[in-house]
Amino acid sequence: MQKVEIDELLFKVEKPGQYLGNEINSSHKTVNENTIRYCACFPDVYEIGMSHLGTQILYNLINTVEDVYCERVFAPANDLEKLMREKQVPLFALESRNALRYFDFLGFTLQYELSYTNILNMLNLARVPIYSKDRSESEPLVIVGGPCAYNCEPIADFVDIVILGEAEEVIIEVLEIYKQQKQIGYNKKKFLEKIVSLQGVYIPSFYEVDYLSDGRINKVYPVNTHTPKSVKKRIINDLENVFYPEKLIVPFVNIVHNRVMLEIFRGCSRGCRFCQAGMIYRPVREKSVNKLCELAGELLESTGYEEISLSSLSASDYTSLQELVSKLIETHEKDRVGISLPSLRLDNLTFEIIKEIQKVRKTSLTFAPEAGSQRLRDVVNKGLTEEDLLNAVRNAFELGWSTVKLYFMIGLPTEDMKDIEEIKNLGFKVVEEYNKVDKEKRSKGLRVTVSASTFIPKPFTPFQWEAQDDMSKTIEKQQFMKEIINHRNITFNYHDVKASFLEGVFARGDRRLSKVIEVAVRNGCKFDGWRDHFDFEKWMDAFNECEIDPLFYARQRCYDEKLPWDHIDVGITKKFLISENEKSKKEEITPDCRELCSACGINVDYKGGDC
Amino acid sequence: MLRIRCRFSKKDDMIFTSHLDLVKFFGRAMRRANIPIAYSQGFNPHPIMSFATALGIGVASNAEYLDIQLDKEIEADAFTKSLNDTLPKGLSIWACKYIDKSEKSLMSIVNRSVYAIEMKLKNKTTQKSIEKEVEKFLEQDSIIYIKERKKKNKWKRNKKSIEMNIRELIYGIEVMSLIEGKIIMKMSLAAGSENNLKPEVVISKLNEMSEVSAIEDSIRVTRLDLLKRQGEQYVPLMSI
Repeated sequence: MQKVEIDELLFKVEKPGQYLGNEINSSHKTVNENTIRYCACFPDVYEIGMSHLGTQILYNLINTVEDVYCERVFAPANDLEKLMREKQVPLFALESRNALRYFDFLGFTLQYELSYTNILNMLNLARVPIYSKDRSESEPLVIVGGPCAYNCEPIADFVDIVILGEAEEVIIEVLEIYKQQKQIGYNKKKFLEKIVSLQGVYIPSFYEVDYLSDGRINKVYPVNTHTPKSVKKRIINDLENVFYPEKLIVPFVNIVHNRVMLEIFRGCSRGCRFCQAGMIYRPVREKSVNKLCELAGELLESTGYEEISLSSLSASDYTSLQELVSKLIETHEKDRVGISLPSLRLDNLTFEIIKEIQKVRKTSLTFAPEAGSQRLRDVVNKGLTEEDLLNAVRNAFELGWSTVKLYFMIGLPTEDMKDIEEIKNLGFKVVEEYNKVDKEKRSKGLRVTVSASTFIPKPFTPFQWEAQDDMSKTIEKQQFMKEIINHRNITFNYHDVKASFLEGVFARGDRRLSKVIEVAVRNGCKFDGWRDHFDFEKWMDAFNECEIDPLFYARQRCYDEKLPWDHIDVGITKKFLISENEKSKKEEITPDCRELCSACGINVDYKGGDC
Repeated sequence: MLRIRCRFSKKDDMIFTSHLDLVKFFGRAMRRANIPIAYSQGFNPHPIMSFATALGIGVASNAEYLDIQLDKEIEADAFTKSLNDTLPKGLSIWACKYIDKSEKSLMSIVNRSVYAIEMKLKNKTTQKSIEKEVEKFLEQDSIIYIKERKKKNKWKRNKKSIEMNIRELIYGIEVMSLIEGKIIMKMSLAAGSENNLKPEVVISKLNEMSEVSAIEDSIRVTRLDLLKRQGEQYVPLMSI
């Protein structure tokens, strides 16, 4: 196949090193007429996409399959896109520089709602029709997965196949069936009908949606007999032995997470009521210390990285964290390998571990109280008390940290201005703790960053029925906070209301939004997650043109309303979500799953979890 | 203290990596190749190595130089081989040798850089007339280049652009060939921490002040070697 000629363009762009495709540990295969071409597409720039562990896992996994060649592509930066459009260069896969339109599969990962426009823009650059119905038998199949796939209705019209849950097994099954079908005479419809019975495969075009006159959904039903009424997510039962790459691609250019990423466990047992990841990734499954040490050794050797990051939703919840960290340090200290632990909950145990990790840079520590008042933390089931937090920061200050970040959300259900004021109080109390610490012991230059994101109700969480604060209310709260947090040691950050509003619309959106996205892309929307790119006016024009009111999607819903994602089964029952929502209203805490099972439903059909 | 000095080339796709990325890249390559590189002290140990000079993005080079400090002695050949095995196409070590700890750093000895410039000309002409143009260009006592300061930090005082005479930083320009409108020239220019002149600047000045005008997109630059002063002569940074 002909290569797309890009050398000329590389001389003209700012960071050409990201488009080379021959990074250390990238896969290069010989293509023949039997080769199935798969491209792992990340709808954001290289430095973000290459930091995504899931893409690296799937890339390496798919390349273990005979006759399948998996490559990568990212959203080209603006300078390259402009040149590509000028010179009519189609979007190409990095490794082979072959045009994407000749591929069998374009696999997009859906990490955040605001990247949807980039998917369409990339298809457009690849000269692949954006609507699945417009793509011919010889054009690529668009397959998607990732957290937003659980409600991917807003992009349902653009995709052919949705993978729900963990893809390591099901993607291989899909590819094997494709390979068989290619041998005996491929037909797109027949292929999709074959794979629709696999657990974890959702074919949006096999479902019809009926609406009520008020715009709400009446029912969602399959259009053929092969298709199940409800689609179950897929999980990996045996995380210990599931495929994990022994090598990761080492980029030439600097990326956000430029280190070995080692996944220590999946799922989270905390049950915070706003957290989608905590619900959809259940149940908790851990890898053993031995396995992780083995993988760490292989990965460090094959990449040459000097740092290893233990990734999970909440590292300190890993049962043998202390043992793991000690062993890793013991083995790799001589090679100056640093260990980083993102997503820590800081209790006393964790501080013991932090003391052990020599290389932890004392630049910043992050805490996530999420809400300012104890009442509101009980509402969201964030089992963290003020005492916990103040103990932790005191500990940190005594150990020499002087920069602390505090993450909060505003707009949480039942929140009032008093709760907002408590955020300020907490920030001030952190400063007080610093002042209490002996001047000899503490580092100079205290900096507390109070960061307030906007709460967005997400599908499959107990708050999925809740209203999203309207923009004026959020702005009012932000302004109020800005006024009261007036302290030389405290910096206050907050999110752009408009971007959060739009994210909320797509998080709980339905199929009618496909049209809006198409129009928005036509108007020039892309990189909506980047502040300098985001153009709310263009989005509002698109909603107007499609005669769709975005506020419809931000509203409060009742328990008996048919939700756009009700035909998706993540293993957690609606009954559980309702009971959690009711408990939140009574400010009642639900204990960690490891202490007491709350019967969320995940252990009914999914075995292998720790619960 | 064990110091090893090596010479490597940077070609093909690798010319698109920046100097900073290359520093990181070499550090990791050494780790993959199990080379016992020495590390700095402190909370953030980094491999001890230093380059002669940075190479711009898009510029190829036959001769880049790098000093590396080792903890343990390994055979120079083994060093080259194991490192080359892990380097991608476009980067390769050509020579290396142990140097004395008293040897001056590459950065302090580098003085000149020789470049090959390949470019397409806008107008039809002959090699003779190009040579004449270059000669006239070099006959000038001063060639003024206005260097604009990058505004990296908005808060700092906005420095004015500075005027500099680059004539004395040009040691020679030689026209090698002109075939089908494509010219190859060799330039010897000041390089190093004291004085440094990029070939792009000379090309733009040639464009401006002579009849030698190139099609901008067609300019390709290769560094042929880096030179140091040895008595009255200028020789490569590392004699092999």
